[in-house]
Amino acid sequence: MNVQAPIKTANRLQATKMNNKLVSEYWEELFRAPEEGKLVCWYEGIQLNPILQAADVAWCHGEAMSALLAARNEELPSQQMAEELGYDRELCSYARTHVGCAAMTQRSTPEGITALPEGSAELKGLAERMPVPDMIISAYPFCSTGQQWDDILYRTFGKKVPIFNISMPWIWGNKASAKYISGPEFEEATAFMVKQLRECISFIEEQTGKPYDWDKLTEIMTYTKKAAELKLEAQDLCKATPSPASFFEWTNSIAPVNFLPGDQKIVDYFTNKRDEIQRRINDGVGSVPEERYRLFWDGIMNWNKIGWLADKFAQYDACVVSGRYTHMAFWQEPQVIDVNDPLEGMAINYLSCPISISAPQIIDKVVEHCEDYKIDGLLLHGAHTCRAFSYPQFLIADAVGKRLEMPVAMFEGDMVDESYYKDEIVNSRVEAMLEQIDAKRARDRWV
Amino acid sequence: MHTALKKFKAVSVDPNGYAQQWKRENGGKVVGTFAMHFPAEIIHASGALPVLLQADNEPITVGHAGMYPFFCSYTRSLVDQNAKGVFDYVDLILFGDHCVQLLSAADVIRVQKPDRHVGFHQLIPALKDNWSFENAEKTLRSAIADIEEQMGVNISDADLSNSIALFNRNRDLIREIYDLRRAGEMTITSLEMQYIVKSSMVMDKAAHNDLLAGLLADMKGQGAEQSGGVVPVFLSGHMCHAPKLELLTTIEDCGTAVVDDDLYHGFRYVSINASEDGDPVKSLTDWYIDRNVVVPCPTRLDPAVDWDGWLLDRVRASGAKGLIVLLPKFCEPHYFYYPRIKKTFEEAGLPHLLLETEHETMAGGDVRTRVEAFTEMLKQGSKDTAAA
Repeated sequence: MNVQAPIKTANRLQATKMNNKLVSEYWEELFRAPEEGKLVCWYEGIQLNPILQAADVAWCHGEAMSALLAARNEELPSQQMAEELGYDRELCSYARTHVGCAAMTQRSTPEGITALPEGSAELKGLAERMPVPDMIISAYPFCSTGQQWDDILYRTFGKKVPIFNISMPWIWGNKASAKYISGPEFEEATAFMVKQLRECISFIEEQTGKPYDWDKLTEIMTYTKKAAELKLEAQDLCKATPSPASFFEWTNSIAPVNFLPGDQKIVDYFTNKRDEIQRRINDGVGSVPEERYRLFWDGIMNWNKIGWLADKFAQYDACVVSGRYTHMAFWQEPQVIDVNDPLEGMAINYLSCPISISAPQIIDKVVEHCEDYKIDGLLLHGAHTCRAFSYPQFLIADAVGKRLEMPVAMFEGDMVDESYYKDEIVNSRVEAMLEQIDAKRARDRWV
Repeated sequence: MHTALKKFKAVSVDPNGYAQQWKRENGGKVVGTFAMHFPAEIIHASGALPVLLQADNEPITVGHAGMYPFFCSYTRSLVDQNAKGVFDYVDLILFGDHCVQLLSAADVIRVQKPDRHVGFHQLIPALKDNWSFENAEKTLRSAIADIEEQMGVNISDADLSNSIALFNRNRDLIREIYDLRRAGEMTITSLEMQYIVKSSMVMDKAAHNDLLAGLLADMKGQGAEQSGGVVPVFLSGHMCHAPKLELLTTIEDCGTAVVDDDLYHGFRYVSINASEDGDPVKSLTDWYIDRNVVVPCPTRLDPAVDWDGWLLDRVRASGAKGLIVLLPKFCEPHYFYYPRIKKTFEEAGLPHLLLETEHETMAGGDVRTRVEAFTEMLKQGSKDTAAA
């Protein structure tokens, strides 16, 4: 079953090309921001970009920067820089890469770190082009590492860049009344988030010296909400058999609902994508040449292996149809956003992303998706340095196995540190799972 | 060994055994909690025995089916013990610390044993925001309400004040031992200090206080003269679980004497008292917010506080010739802040040694070699200083 030569490849959507163009335009615009007199904000975690865009502040999302470097195979210089400064390889690779970028950006500033590692002068590239921040906003769901990462950035820049911290409550569920996006605990958490978001906007006003443009936020959130609705509509179409798009196509669609500017372009992008998916359904075209298995991907993406993994699964006649990262996050509940008064709806989305809710609710959502998308098998990618995403995977595997009698395959990898990914282990585990699916089907035929 | 130390040792070696015996003898309930900053006074005020659930020394076996190996040893050990039924005697669990790995373990523990209530009351990690105090106070009040509901009791302000006073007394007594050790008026090894603090995390506080008072009465002023070859060192790190006894033994066997520390199973645990005046919940809130100033913790956020600078001052004040950093593998907060400690100590010319600790696989011979080399270097440094 182990296929050596690339016989079949994934059937890529044309719309993805537009995503790549938008992403490139965004980064180039960010790199130019200081020349154009724009303030730059660094942040991680939740999608604060609409709030910054409305204030005419340029933004750099740390994970997006690290993922960009990995997707373009330029992550190593910043990771080496971080390691030389003493940051351990077991630390979150997003953070490690980003902190490495921070150190590299400073060599062009008069107040920068002067004691950069020996021989670092040749470490040039994309990472170095990132503009230094004028402000930092920290707002990370669940993962304490995110908050500490921002604190380290603040200290790396000599405590000279103003920082604003949003403490995000984790939705634990102390009482039976706690439900997904409802119940007193969630409402209290939402109110606390809204309060902090308002304070955050005051902080931004202090930095820009200008009153905040609430009308512009409404306009941006109108585009964002529409884009998110189109995305969900297009994802819903993928319940068709064969599935017209795969998880890997959705990983390529995170940027427009995560950090690209909220404007007509992201609406156009998802409109095109939805229409292309609908055309595929009409024509009976699937995302893989021959769909024999429908799989669910739990875990963050290996950003340096998107296309490669898409082709690997195509060779197995397996379509990875849905995923926790792609289908349960990034404005996953657009209907709750009132664009005329958007902060509460934004807070609800921030607090219901799939690392902001605890395991019992995550498990219910994964089971629901597996049923909706008629999934045959569950893949669990344990991102070695992302404990926040990886921790519930044994619980998910156990629950899905028991509730749906579905085979699972677990393997380790990482978001942007390729060295944790072991291809032969992935092959053997995926192949074993697919054989289990075949065996189950054979048993079912006999019953 | 003094009788009190023997008791402390017995409890710290078998904390679950002690708690189960307490339960049998007193007919009360046991409430488990986790490191690092949750005020156990509010559990004690309910009449229950608060027990800080500890990492154990057993190899992780069934716990591997609940957690990836790239989590810290404290959290993996907790999950492993829970899966094995070691914590089945615990009536409920309450905690409040925001650490991704600890929260992960707690969620796994909750799902593993769904019939036991696990309450999480998130203590805000950012300590100096405009809403930090208000939010932390509200959180503690919700935790108290949770205990009341689960235990079927009412906790009065007087109950809380009594518990605060009892816990303060405990902290005072242990800090007095620290003061006496620093002054050379009491000889306490790092093992014995761990027995004292770890047992305090588990034992009935009144009983612990009585034993501490007896220990101080008998041993105060009985500091042994340090032999000339012994090098004073400071231990730092391990924010959640106790360093292995074998590791501490190795460090002191190599010719060092631990004169001070910021370990959780050490000075960090007893660093600050809560006010005994006024509203007790507000006092505990202050205690939570202020702890980080007295001994900085990399899991809390306070832009004005620098763990590295604090550590440098403390090491110098202790008279230690060097710092030994004990960094638990996979502890991300420590990974983040260690480079700053390294830089600060290198710039100050004060030697330090980093030892990464693991649950099962530390090579004793390698550790010994490294500590011996570090000790020799410190000795040589002292000679050079004396010669100059």
